[in-house]
Amino acid sequence: MAAPLVLVVLAAVTVRAALYRSSLAVFIAERVEVASPLNAWKRVVEGLALLDLGVSPYSGAIFHETPLIIYLFHFLIEYAELVFMITDVLTAIALYLAIQDFNKVVFKKQKLLIELDKYAPDVAELIQTPMEMHYIPLKVALFYLLNPYTVMSCVAKSTCAINNSVIAFFILATIKGSAFLSAVFLALATYQSLYPLTLFAPALLYLLQRQFIPIKLKSKSFWLYTMQYASLYLCSLVVIICLSFFLLNSWDFIPSVYGFILSVPDLTPNIGLFWYFFAEMFEHFSLFFVCVFQINVFFYTIPLAIKLKEHPVFFMFVQLAIISIFKSYPTVGDVALYMAFLPVWSHLYRFLRNIFMLSCVLIFCSFLFPVLWHLWIYAGSANSNFYYAITLTFNIGQILLISDYFYAFLRREYYLTHGLHLTRQDGTEAMLVLK
Amino acid sequence: FQDQAEQFFRSGHTNNWAVLVCTSRFWFNYRHVANTLSVYRSVKRLGIPDSHIVLMLADDMACNPRNPKPATVFSHKNMELNVYGDDVEVDYRSYEVTVENFLRVLTGRIPPSTPRSKRLLSDDRSNILIYMTGHGGNGFLKFQDSEEITNVELADAFEQMWQKRRYNELLFIIDTCQGASMYERFYSPNIMALASSQVGEDSLSHQPDLGIGVHLMDRYTFYVLEFLEEIHPASQTNMNDLFQVCPKSLCVSTPGHRTDLFQRDPQNVLITDFFGSVRKVEITAETVSLDRGVAGFESKLPEEELATEPLKYAEQLPVAQIIHQKPKQKDWHPPGGFILGLWALIIMVFFKTYGIKHMKHVF
Repeated sequence: MAAPLVLVVLAAVTVRAALYRSSLAVFIAERVEVASPLNAWKRVVEGLALLDLGVSPYSGAIFHETPLIIYLFHFLIEYAELVFMITDVLTAIALYLAIQDFNKVVFKKQKLLIELDKYAPDVAELIQTPMEMHYIPLKVALFYLLNPYTVMSCVAKSTCAINNSVIAFFILATIKGSAFLSAVFLALATYQSLYPLTLFAPALLYLLQRQFIPIKLKSKSFWLYTMQYASLYLCSLVVIICLSFFLLNSWDFIPSVYGFILSVPDLTPNIGLFWYFFAEMFEHFSLFFVCVFQINVFFYTIPLAIKLKEHPVFFMFVQLAIISIFKSYPTVGDVALYMAFLPVWSHLYRFLRNIFMLSCVLIFCSFLFPVLWHLWIYAGSANSNFYYAITLTFNIGQILLISDYFYAFLRREYYLTHGLHLTRQDGTEAMLVLK
Repeated sequence: FQDQAEQFFRSGHTNNWAVLVCTSRFWFNYRHVANTLSVYRSVKRLGIPDSHIVLMLADDMACNPRNPKPATVFSHKNMELNVYGDDVEVDYRSYEVTVENFLRVLTGRIPPSTPRSKRLLSDDRSNILIYMTGHGGNGFLKFQDSEEITNVELADAFEQMWQKRRYNELLFIIDTCQGASMYERFYSPNIMALASSQVGEDSLSHQPDLGIGVHLMDRYTFYVLEFLEEIHPASQTNMNDLFQVCPKSLCVSTPGHRTDLFQRDPQNVLITDFFGSVRKVEITAETVSLDRGVAGFESKLPEEELATEPLKYAEQLPVAQIIHQKPKQKDWHPPGGFILGLWALIIMVFFKTYGIKHMKHVF
């Protein structure tokens, strides 16, 4: 499996290198869908230049990266393109290894459940075979590396790629079962952009499952393990934040990074839902609505944890998607990360109801973004409502995609335990709906 | 003789200036332009030349397309008095009347390209009359329906004038709603202020003219104009009479005045000290020979100190040196403690994950 992966990696690197040398690089780097105020490369360069002039980069609202990024790019700024290409490759390799291990786990669990006779007798066609699962890791790496969103994000040198790679390593560490490494990478991901905090729940659920600790609220071992993992996570987060203090000897980065993410002062249009709403809002309501929107990101964790506690990796996928839809400054790089997981659930294809419509919506919206931006900003014959309409449609498409996969997943699980041909009490055929 | 000598030394001014500002535009604010032009007419009639008057009108009423009598601005109904005439010189017109320009005129901070007619070239022996009219409120005066000047700004501008010795005495007259609020904040010496209404009162306009279709003047300025029409360059009328102009029965609003910053008693201040340009002429009988001290005067200055050519403005600043200086590049390096801490943490994580036993393989 290594050879095809190497081929894919080479192809991806070639595409990126070609784009770096072309004139499209400047155009893509300026696109608001790819570069947000949080992760634009221009701002990293500006921040480092300010540092060279002896001014703290966090003075003024230009630079919103964490001190570790400052440290990383202080030495690597001349090789920035290489760094981003290597980051993408590392992400793809991490996802590849993670999904490989995950497939083994899935297969083992499936075997166990078949032997324990937990499955209904007529569900043979729903069981995943090793043959079809063989190519999934390669497909995941392919999906991530050759996704136009990822390529654009890499060419724009947006630090979203670094965040993606940290999350990919976190997923790899979780699936391999190392609680310590998973806590460290999760702390790094949370440290960079606040939202991966919600990935704590699926990681915890997965690690508990792996240790065969039952998830009951009364069980002592459950709480013990949870406390251990939580303390590992919090300690590493505290250590990283304290270390960042020593880079510039000031706590300036906390309001600049976390205050900026949470209070959303910059209303540059992006593919998210925050900007238009807050541009239209009166001052004295804005605090309330900022709180509502931010709670919306974190809100789905507990209900999903309750529903999906047997399937933590799917939970992680849904959670990643929710983060990238509802976060305050989303970019297409975030979208690319969860889309890389879609091949893992390719066996759900027969249960997806709207996949054609949704893929059309997503593709059309992606093409319409630059068109309506041009019409609004350059031609002047449209206004922000047009661009916001496309943003809304894109996000609706994403939300429907996730809920479609959610429905398909739950439906398959139901069929597995209750049999493919469902009958009602009076013998007629029944239909499953997601209520 | 004593009286005459006292009279001579009563006011320390040698020249008079007037800054007359109308801040409103649009046809229905005809009366504000008429107000300003009435004061302009009186001031010119009493002797202040156009070169010493800065007239700022925010709109052109005489040539306004809605004016049924073009090239005229009337100040009394039945079109008795045309205050526009043939020799009106407007220095700041239309959109040039802004808060910024007004403050620049007062303080003298004007770009070098401004023509003389747009400058207030007063010195420390100048008496200045400042008349402002328009729409105002508590603490502000509206310019051009788009910006405002506050009483604090005005007070600070007058302080700048005082510190730069740009006036000897200043008379500030304002005819707007709540005009008294505009002089509340003055703190520089030698300022006397009059306003057409107190805080909380509106200044009302006089009669409308049915032929022109708008109100022609405001009440306060109307009665001030009537009062000024009686004044001639030799009158001895003093400020106390001006304070009596337009009582509440005629004006509906209560005019106010402020004299606490003024050194002299208003009783001794002549109207013509501000509204006219009465020069003090001293007639002497003895002859003074001027060529005696001239030669000695010249030899006082040594030859080297005399500049042979005038210094250009730019040469006073070493711009050439500043431009060609290379900016000092201070390279920032992350502190050693941080690098040490970070790499220690990374190594700790590495060994915790892969076990201490690998250490001996690494080393």
